Amino acid sequence: MQYLIQLLISGLAIGAIYGLIAMGFAVIYKSTGLVNFAQGEMTMIVAYIAWTISTTVSGNVFVVAVGAILTAIVLGLVIERVVMRPMLGEPVFATVMVTIGLAVILRSSINFIWDAYPHGLDLGVGRDIVRIGDIGVRTGQMAVIATLLLLLAAVWAFFRYSKFGIAMRAVAADDRTALLMGISATRVHAIAWAASSVIAGIAGVFFAISYDLSPAMFQLGLKSFPATILGGLDAVLGSGVGGLLIGITENLAGGYLGSGMKEVAGFAMIIVVLMIRPFGIFGERDIERV
Amino acid sequence: MRSGDFKETYGELVALTDSKPVWLWSAALVAALIVAPFLLNSYILSFLIIILITVVGALGLNILTGYTGLISLGHVGFLVTGAYAYAVVVSKYGMPPLVGFLAAGIVPALASLVVGAPSLRLKGLYLAITTLAFSFIINTVILEARTLTNGARGIPVQRPKILGVSFDSDVAFTHLCLGFAIVTLFATLNIRRSRVGRAFVAIRDNDTAARVMGINLHAYKLFAFVTSAFITGIAGALYGIYLSFVSVEGFPFLLSIEALAILIVGGLGSALGAVLGTILIVLLPEATRMVFSLFSAQMDALFSTGAQELKSMLYGLVIILFLRFQPRGLVGAWHDIRRLWVNWPLRY
Repeated sequence: MQYLIQLLISGLAIGAIYGLIAMGFAVIYKSTGLVNFAQGEMTMIVAYIAWTISTTVSGNVFVVAVGAILTAIVLGLVIERVVMRPMLGEPVFATVMVTIGLAVILRSSINFIWDAYPHGLDLGVGRDIVRIGDIGVRTGQMAVIATLLLLLAAVWAFFRYSKFGIAMRAVAADDRTALLMGISATRVHAIAWAASSVIAGIAGVFFAISYDLSPAMFQLGLKSFPATILGGLDAVLGSGVGGLLIGITENLAGGYLGSGMKEVAGFAMIIVVLMIRPFGIFGERDIERV
Repeated sequence: MRSGDFKETYGELVALTDSKPVWLWSAALVAALIVAPFLLNSYILSFLIIILITVVGALGLNILTGYTGLISLGHVGFLVTGAYAYAVVVSKYGMPPLVGFLAAGIVPALASLVVGAPSLRLKGLYLAITTLAFSFIINTVILEARTLTNGARGIPVQRPKILGVSFDSDVAFTHLCLGFAIVTLFATLNIRRSRVGRAFVAIRDNDTAARVMGINLHAYKLFAFVTSAFITGIAGALYGIYLSFVSVEGFPFLLSIEALAILIVGGLGSALGAVLGTILIVLLPEATRMVFSLFSAQMDALFSTGAQELKSMLYGLVIILFLRFQPRGLVGAWHDIRRLWVNWPLRY
C-alpha cells in the first residue's frame, strides 16, 4: 500500500511537469493552430539558462526564477519573430515541419553551448522531504503540483474571460476573419509563444530541481505529447489533467510491470485513447465544411 | 520546334515519360552507376551505397507523406522492424536472404496495419504523433523480446549470398542496392500513375472530396501505409546489412527527421524529388565539413567531436530554409531552371 501511494505521488509530481509542458503545447495550439514540436527543447534551454544563472550570478531562488522567466519570454519572442512569423499563412504541414527543424537545432545546440554531462540545479530548496504519515514527499514535488494547478486555473480563466484570450481563440479558429475584426494576429502569436515558453521554462526548472539537467531533457517534450493528446490539443485544462494521468500511468507501469514499460506506457495509452476518441478526452471535435 | 505538350490519348497522359532522350539519359545514368563502383575508392563508394539505400527508404516515405499526405514521424520504426526481421530470419534461423528480404517487407507491413488502423480516424497532427508513439513502442518491444532479438545486444548480419551470387564485396553490394533502388523507383513511379496513385493524391489534396468521388478512404489509406512500410522495411534490411550489425541504437530517431528533411528538400510528392533530396541530404554533412576544414583545422576538430550534433543542426537548418525560400524543393527549382532554359529569352 505504501509502495502504491509512493508511486502515485511521484507519478503526480512528474505528471505535473508533463502537464505544464502539455499546457505549453495547448496554449500555442489554441492561438495559432499548430503543434510546436520544439516545446521540449525550449523547456531544456530555459532550464540550462537557469542553471547558468545559478552558477554564475547568484544561487538565490528569486534571482534565478526572475532570470529564467525573462529569458523564457525573450526566447519565445525571438523564435516567433525570426522563425515562425515568416511562415504565417503557409500550410500547417510546412509550419509544423519548421518547428521540427527548430527542435533539432535547439537540441543539438545544447552540446555546443554547454556540455554533454548532467548537472544538478541546486537552489537550496525543493529537495527537503516532508513526512505525511509514513509517506515522504519532496517540497519540490509539492510545489510543482501546486504550480500546475494555479497556472491551469489562471490560463483557463484567461482564455475564458479576458478580451485578449478570446482574441487568441478567434485567431486560432480563423486568422483571416480575426484580422478583419481588427485583431493583430502577429501580436497574438507573439504573446502565445512567449507565454508557452514561460510555461515550458517553469516545467524545465522544476524538473531540474527535482531531478537533473542533461542534454536528454528534450525527451520531456516527447513524453508530454501523450498528455496533450489525451487531453485534446485545444484543451488547456485537459492537457494539465492529461499530464497528471500520464504521469501516474507511467509510474504505475514502471513500478509493477518493469522499466521498459515505463518508457512507453504513455504512448501505448494514447494509441488506445485515440482509437476511441480521436480528438482526445477533452478536445473539441472539428466540424468540417467542404 | 516543340511548341507545347499536346496529349491525344489517355495512355499518353499517364505514360512515364513521352521523350526518348529521357529514357536514353536514364539508361546512361544506370550504366554509369553500374560501372562507377569499379572505379571509385571505398570512401566515396560508401556514400554511394548510403545514397542508394536512403533512396529506397525515402521513396517509401514518399508514398505515405508525399502522395497520400499522411505525415509520419515514426518511419524509423518501420526501418528498424525491417532490419530486425531480416536479421532474425537470416542470421538467427539461417534462412536464405531472399526470404529475409521478403520478411523485411512483410513484417513492417503487418506492423503498419496496427498503426494504420487508428489513422483512419485521426487527422494531420494527431496521426503524426501516433506514428511517433509507434516508433518508441517498437523500440521497447524489440528490447523486451530478448529471445527473438537478443535485446540490447543486437544481431550481427553477414552480407548476403543470393542464388549463388555473393554480395560480399563493396562493389557487389553496391550493385545489389542499385538494383533495389531502381526497382523501388519504378514501382513508385508506376504506383503514382495508376488508379491507386491518383486515389492517393486525391486523398492528399482533399480527403472529403476524394470520399465524395467514391474513393474508399479506409482501404486506400491502409494501402498507402502497407506499401510505404513494405518499402521502408526493405531499406531497413539493406541498411542493417550495410552496418553489418542490427541494434536499436543503429536506428536513432534522427532518421525519421532525416527522411522528412529529404522529402521537403527534394519536393513533396515527387519521386524525382525524393532522389534529389537524398543526394543532397546524404552529402550535406560531408560537404559542409569539407568547406569548413578549408578555413581552419579547429573547425575540422569540431566536426569530428560533435559530428552527430552538427548533422542534426544541418538537417534542421535545411528544413527551415527550404520551407521558407523554396517550398517546392529541389524538384521545383529544377522545373524552373528547365523552363527558363527552354523558353529563354521569353518568359513562357
